[in-house]
Amino acid sequence: MNTNNKLKLAALAAATSLTAACSLPGLGGDLEEGTITVATQSSTEMVILGFVVEGMIEHYSDLEVEVIQNLGSSTMVNQALVQGDADIAAARYTGTALTGELGMDPITDPDLAYSTVVEGFADIYNQKFYPSYGFANSYAFLVSRDMAEEYDLETVSDLAPIADELTAGVDNSWMVREGDGYNAFLETYQFNFETVYPMEIGLVYDAVASGNMDVVLGYSTDGRIASYDLVYLEDDLNFFPPYDASPGATFELIEEYPILDEILLKMEGTIATEMMQELNYVADEYLVEPATVAREFLEQNNYFEDTEPYLEPIGGE
Amino acid sequence: MLNIEGLTDVTDMTILEQLFYYVQQNGPYLWEQFLRHFLISIYGVLLAAIIAIPLGFYIARHGKLADWVIGIANVIQTIPSLAMLSILMLGFGIGTNTVIITVFLYSILPIIKNTYAGVKNVDNALLDAGKGMGMTWWQLTYKVELPMALSVIMAGLRNALVVGIGVTAIGTFIGAGGLGDIIQRGVNASSGGAIILAGAIPTALMAVLADLVLAWLERRLDPSSRARKS
Repeated sequence: MNTNNKLKLAALAAATSLTAACSLPGLGGDLEEGTITVATQSSTEMVILGFVVEGMIEHYSDLEVEVIQNLGSSTMVNQALVQGDADIAAARYTGTALTGELGMDPITDPDLAYSTVVEGFADIYNQKFYPSYGFANSYAFLVSRDMAEEYDLETVSDLAPIADELTAGVDNSWMVREGDGYNAFLETYQFNFETVYPMEIGLVYDAVASGNMDVVLGYSTDGRIASYDLVYLEDDLNFFPPYDASPGATFELIEEYPILDEILLKMEGTIATEMMQELNYVADEYLVEPATVAREFLEQNNYFEDTEPYLEPIGGE
Repeated sequence: MLNIEGLTDVTDMTILEQLFYYVQQNGPYLWEQFLRHFLISIYGVLLAAIIAIPLGFYIARHGKLADWVIGIANVIQTIPSLAMLSILMLGFGIGTNTVIITVFLYSILPIIKNTYAGVKNVDNALLDAGKGMGMTWWQLTYKVELPMALSVIMAGLRNALVVGIGVTAIGTFIGAGGLGDIIQRGVNASSGGAIILAGAIPTALMAVLADLVLAWLERRLDPSSRARKS
């Protein structure tokens, strides 16, 4: 009787481990062969990009694609690619990739930064770091349109003559950051504002639009920049390291499916900073799901069928 | 370029109106995540039941083992869920299966403990009567112990499912999907209060409903209530 029981237990244990090894009904097959998984982090922007990549792949191939969202950090996304849990990283920012996954010092020259990450990812992780989507999500000094016109402001250096009368709202964490933080800023640009208010990053756009602040430091792809008609001041001394966004994939994957390589190359320069602002804005302020935003964006651009490299659409609804 | 004019401006709405609007716009997506969330929790609990109920019966008869098994299950239970997910992620990678395994591990203790207690509390006189009637070991288990202990076992499953639904919500961080995805998106959106609610309310509702349904089932299965009815 005891052996009977033990047998049953063993059978059950075997059954459990079997079910754990493949996927269960109703949950989709994230471990299935032939399914391409796209990994993203949790910001609205990266999730939208994840679905954009999904839409492109499904339009130009008959591969099944699944988007894994909300991974905690860029290192976790990279780990998923290294372990083979995911195939494509939807968005990587040069600056983050340099200091994060590659553990190097920040580089402020955009071209050098890009070539460094391309080499680094190929050497260390056997991954291809693709050309940028065409936008960068970096820190940006922002002023209102009126202010920009009144003082003829185009670059950050243009602020220098009037800076001692200006109030500035900046990200809390930027005040204490090493390398590209407040202290380094003072050293590079050689001017200071009348008062600097550290604040929650989400509030700076409203603060400058309402006139409570004269100039603020925000993120360059935030949708509110476009909707509040804020002016982005060019970082003319290349103080902030570049955060150009690119997709990434393992070389094994693109050797197995060369079409994926072409699709990801096709994405180069397709999303300008203003476009990304708008996509973020629609998703965040109009409560539209990122998947819907991505699909509409691709449909309106006809899935970039007219941009190089030219591909034959197969899939699609 | 996107058709913003065609979209409703939600910035002037109250958070409840926004919530209503979001659910209206994204109903199918919400339902899909709800179902996914529920399935992940249910699978974890069911797998645990398959292992833990027989194990509970087994240790009820082998008293020495009971302390060990329950002790180990107790230790598993003390690990914080986020830590457990991260540890398992190292071994099993990201995705739904890791979350199912996590739910499984958290479900083992309540189910084993309740099965053990349920079986232990079966009146010895009943077992003796069964033996006296010439019942086999299997008949005793199936016809006497199981029915007597079933309502207590159900209480354990109920406990496990409610915990499992909570654990699954955290599963979003390792890419499992479910309602946690919606909550997390709300946290990241610049004015996502309504989205957070759209994810959190169904999660809470699911836990409450699961609790109520299983509580009802538990009462139905209680042998004393059945005796009264017939």
